[in-house]
Amino acid sequence: MMQSNTPNTHLPSSSLEVRPIVSVRQVSMIFQTGTVALKNANLEIAQGEFISLIGPSGCGKTTLLRLLADLIKPTSGTIQIGGKNPEEARKSRAYGYVFQAPTLMEWRTVLSNVMLPLEVMNFPASERKARAEKMLTLVGLEKFARHYPWQLSGGMQQRVSIARALAFDPQLLFMDEPFGALDEITRENLNLELLRLWRETGKTIIFVTHSIPEAVFLSTRIVVMTPRPGKIETVIPVDLPQPRTFETRELPEFFQIATEVREALRRGHGYEVTE
Amino acid sequence: MTRISPHLGPMLVVALITLALYWPLMYLANIPAAQRALDTGAALPCKTAFECATQLRSPVLPSPQQLWNGFRNLMFPLNSQSAIPLNALVTALETIVGLLLAALVGFFFAIGMVASRAFERSLLPWIVASQTVPIIAIAPMLVVVLGQYGVQGWLPKAIIAAYIAFFPIAIGVAKGLKSPDPLSLDLMKTYNASNWQTYLKLRFPASIPYLFTAFKVAMTAALIGAIVAEISTISFQGIGKMLAENSRASDVVAMWVIMLSSAVLGILLVALVNWLERLLTPWQRVRTAATPLPKQARVSERGGAG
Repeated sequence: MMQSNTPNTHLPSSSLEVRPIVSVRQVSMIFQTGTVALKNANLEIAQGEFISLIGPSGCGKTTLLRLLADLIKPTSGTIQIGGKNPEEARKSRAYGYVFQAPTLMEWRTVLSNVMLPLEVMNFPASERKARAEKMLTLVGLEKFARHYPWQLSGGMQQRVSIARALAFDPQLLFMDEPFGALDEITRENLNLELLRLWRETGKTIIFVTHSIPEAVFLSTRIVVMTPRPGKIETVIPVDLPQPRTFETRELPEFFQIATEVREALRRGHGYEVTE
Repeated sequence: MTRISPHLGPMLVVALITLALYWPLMYLANIPAAQRALDTGAALPCKTAFECATQLRSPVLPSPQQLWNGFRNLMFPLNSQSAIPLNALVTALETIVGLLLAALVGFFFAIGMVASRAFERSLLPWIVASQTVPIIAIAPMLVVVLGQYGVQGWLPKAIIAAYIAFFPIAIGVAKGLKSPDPLSLDLMKTYNASNWQTYLKLRFPASIPYLFTAFKVAMTAALIGAIVAEISTISFQGIGKMLAENSRASDVVAMWVIMLSSAVLGILLVALVNWLERLLTPWQRVRTAATPLPKQARVSERGGAG
């Protein structure tokens, strides 16, 4: 049930007009403190895309993701997820969310952690274990099912949390700087693994990062965001060939797009971005 | 056991030093009393103050020989109403029942404090105030009042034990229920989890380590409560009743023996909590181990990318 088996080829921009799975119209978010976290954001995302939100701290990228996930409500504007408002989408379990930290429950084994959403969502007991085991296999951690989270490295813990987010087969995967706390080598490995997951599952992924190479490597489109007030500066399509490999990072186009992103950030005074 | 072993050596050293110091201290404390007893012409089976120091009826510090004899007298027969084992068992049961009652009440208050700020603001000051009333002042009154409702024997003592034990439990559990980080709460929200599910799957399990820490504090408090309750009311059984009896009889040696026994009882009760903790929180075990990551894990990390 988890594979919708739509192989992700690169999506031509014309497919956007078909029926966006995520649609953001004139969305603003002003916090009680008066901070304008997001101003007049507009964005449409098609089924099967891999979208990165990039920008420095305070540009509203996490805010936008939290708005999509209905963890906060916008001050103004409308958001639609698969034709529903964010609250309905959350209640119909349309998305899985991966946080900056793995947020695994230390009293649960790895397998039991992946089963958590299935328990909350009242999946039949017989189905939970099978699904969780399948997800662990998908992220390559089936041998660690009986381990406790603290027995795993940071990268492995984050893989468990990805398996957990996919366990109930949501259409969308929201990822908020999931690899931000990991070292460069682990991060590059996980990037490759994430792309494999994306191809195999056909999910639509929205990925927050403040690493330019990571955004270029992963995405079909990059949403460049800049701070004070948080806004979408521009959206840059990434026309790199699929499937991407370690060699993708050495292509001249890779550097061209990275430069384009960097310049867009500079235009919006978002140059404090880390790489 | 492995957790105790690194402390065992140093603990033994301290025990030996204490014992080595005890003898001279015991003589120092008892010789003047022995001299006074000899001066008043009491019938003693000894001639010099030095000799008599170890044989006084009411020594300041009992000699090891006296303690040993005291233990032998008070430990047997095991099922005797006037021996320590049966009475210690009664006190232990009062303490444990008290702790369970306290856990029940403590959990109730903790959930109230976490669920409602109004509850916390209006009740917490009163809960704190309730703990400032000396237990020894409350105990006799409670026993009389409960007696009017036919609650007698060991149960009032358990209730008094619960009275002082519920506070650390309520505070500890409240802290534990609040311990999940905001991201974990967000996670539950993304699953559209109900309030009850969030408690069941996140807040309760997260509070278990806090609960056990609170239990250790509460267990000693409950033991004190039970003993004080036994002393300050009419009791027919229990460590407190033995203490009160021997206090009236001025049997210093017996009181020392009972005191040391109640210390052992306290240690055993806390050890019971420790044992339960290790049994019920397996994820915390060997947390301190030097290499938490199994070997194969590192290999797989490298080969994991697809």
